[in-house]
Amino acid sequence: MKLDKCAINPVGLAVRIGGLQLKNPVMTASGTFGYGQEFAPFCDLKRLGAIVLKGLSLEPRPGNPSPRIMETPCGMLNAVGLQNIGVRAFIAEKMPYLRQIDVAVIANIFGETVDEYRRIAEILSHVDGVDGIEVNISCPNVKKGGIAFGANPDVAADITQKVRGETDLPMIVKLTPNVTDITEIAMAVEAAGADAVSLINTLTGMSVDIERRRPHLANITGGLSGPAVKPVALRMVWQAVHSLKIPVIGIGGISTADDALEFLIAGATAIEIGTANFINPSVTMKVIDGIEEYMTRHGIGRIDELIGSLITDPQQ
Amino acid sequence: MKTSREHPSMVDGEVIGNVEVSPNHFRLTLRLPGTFSTPSPGQFVMIRDLERREPLLPRPLSVYGFHREGGYAILVLLYRVAGLGTSLFSRLRSKAFLNVLGPLGRGFSVDCDVRRVILVAGGVGVAPLTFLLREGYSQTNASGKTQTTAYVGARTAELLTGLDRLESFCDLRIATNDGSAGHQGLVTDLVRSDLNGCNPEETFIYGCGPAAMIRSLGLLVRKTAIRCEVSIEERMACGIGACLGCAVAITDGKGLSDYQRVCKEGPVFNILDISPVFFSNE
Ligand SMILES: Cc1cc2nc3c(=O)[nH]c(=O)nc-3n(C[C@H](O)[C@H](O)[C@H](O)COP(=O)(O)OP(=O)(O)OC[C@H]3O[C@@H](n4cnc5c(N)ncnc54)[C@H](O)[C@@H]3O)c2cc1C
Ligand SMILES: Cc1cc2nc3c(=O)[nH]c(=O)nc-3n(C[C@H](O)[C@H](O)[C@H](O)COP(=O)(O)O)c2cc1C
Ligand code: FES
Repeated sequence: MKLDKCAINPVGLAVRIGGLQLKNPVMTASGTFGYGQEFAPFCDLKRLGAIVLKGLSLEPRPGNPSPRIMETPCGMLNAVGLQNIGVRAFIAEKMPYLRQIDVAVIANIFGETVDEYRRIAEILSHVDGVDGIEVNISCPNVKKGGIAFGANPDVAADITQKVRGETDLPMIVKLTPNVTDITEIAMAVEAAGADAVSLINTLTGMSVDIERRRPHLANITGGLSGPAVKPVALRMVWQAVHSLKIPVIGIGGISTADDALEFLIAGATAIEIGTANFINPSVTMKVIDGIEEYMTRHGIGRIDELIGSLITDPQQ
Repeated sequence: MKTSREHPSMVDGEVIGNVEVSPNHFRLTLRLPGTFSTPSPGQFVMIRDLERREPLLPRPLSVYGFHREGGYAILVLLYRVAGLGTSLFSRLRSKAFLNVLGPLGRGFSVDCDVRRVILVAGGVGVAPLTFLLREGYSQTNASGKTQTTAYVGARTAELLTGLDRLESFCDLRIATNDGSAGHQGLVTDLVRSDLNGCNPEETFIYGCGPAAMIRSLGLLVRKTAIRCEVSIEERMACGIGACLGCAVAITDGKGLSDYQRVCKEGPVFNILDISPVFFSNE
């Protein structure tokens, strides 16, 4: 079936992120796709451009108390607290499954200190089956009073450089939107050796239960994701595209092929789908089909022709 | 041994019944494709109207009934209108479609050597326990090998739900907070008075209801050697173990030892494994 489809519909969906060639621009967003296996009943995993895994730290982290999530208008808040099994358990328990599947696997990493980032990158760069690293710099820097690493261009560049020093794998730096000027951070990590940037991570938000006069989340604040953040994400992606030479990966509220196309046209080389996986666990397949269908309908042979094709000149 | 999981799938379900069985409580019957796996007692489904933008996330509901008919799978749910999502479900009429993801989670253990089965339900907590009784213990009940008592509690008589489907299968004891039906007080008070004389080896308690009820049940059971499993609730996004949103604190008896996922390792847990932290935000 699938082979036939390719034969009659030979649009070129492949994109390149640093040294990594992806079958198509549709990736999964960290923390929303588990370790891939959870979605095997609903997705043909090998059709994905890449699987980005749940954020990994050097040591296991228990995460935050419940409630950890709350639905908000057209979105959700989460304060999972970066719960994960730690990089070593990940390699032992999750990699054997992922190795069997013909799909690009990107490990998402974070640390509590700059050195921790470096050490995880060092470990992962020798693991068979890991095809790339996405560095989450949105988490709080414990030593600097909890301000996100990624809010400061110097710190962001420092992490990028340290990770770069440990690995030849394609390195994507994932940016936080909770900053005044995203281009400043984006340019700093580009200069420090990132192969690509991805954005956005969640926007910090909050929600109050007025009957009980308590925050809905045990952690009080949480990260906002889902359709509600899409216009903000798209604006930031567009700004980043215009200030960088390296590829930009668009993330934020993408739930349909149309949403994905908006990001591609605005200049994103690839996209990641997050919260939408919770609403429909096969959404990634639908988005791939929809992009293909759009390209056929518009007579676009290769996705490169579409990426960054946004027309902003009113005379054109 | 807990009941094993079959493959979950996502299907469209056609509404073939949506009846208000008591104020604000509805019994929803959906016709699903025959490919839908047979749920085990205690498993749940995630339900969403894909045509709507809001609510965004699907809602978890326990399986209340399930059978196969003419090549279809018939799924029955029992729900209380709690907010936007369930209130939209309550307005659905026949021929409407809902998206169903399931069966999900790990259900109740069924032990055929047990002689005494005690069900403790608060409000719509009767849903998974009714399915458990029908699927797990109807034969041993019929043969007289097991004897089942269901203790059902609610705030007032009119909020008692789903008794019709339990009554015919077991002995029923009622408690209401205001005394408008049965015993006045907590359902766990009733359970306490009947536990004397139970042989712990041959007894199994199953519970589902508000956190306060589970907590009192836990205090009761702690003093005995009776096995007790409960189905608990936590807010969910994915229902399949991917988002880590539905964490429940699990204890080794000495303190917090771990968070587990209600949607994957649960929703059924051994009551003694649940950390007191779980009850603190009620
Ligand atoms: C495994 C599982 C099985 C369940 N089975 C049933 C069932 O068989 N019948 C039934 O009536 N209900 C069941 N629930 C609870 C049901 O999922 C919630 O009542 C429902 O999600 C509320 O959605 P809403 O949009 O109507 O309300 P919302 O507006 O989202 O919330 C209304 C209130 O319900 C609470 N709530 C929201 N989500 C949940 C949740 N996942 N669990 C518990 N409380 C929640 C909120 O904190 C709030 O107080 C189950 C929950 C779980 C986790
Ligand atoms: C439950 C949840 C967990 C997440 N965990 C991570 C994580 O571990 N690392 C990370 O870089 N981003 C994490 N994110 C952020 C997402 O990858 C994504 O950047 C964000 O949700 C915006 O995309 P969306 O609107 O498509 O969800 C998480 C998001 C959610 C909703
Ligand atoms: S609801 Fe997502 S992990 Fe349980």
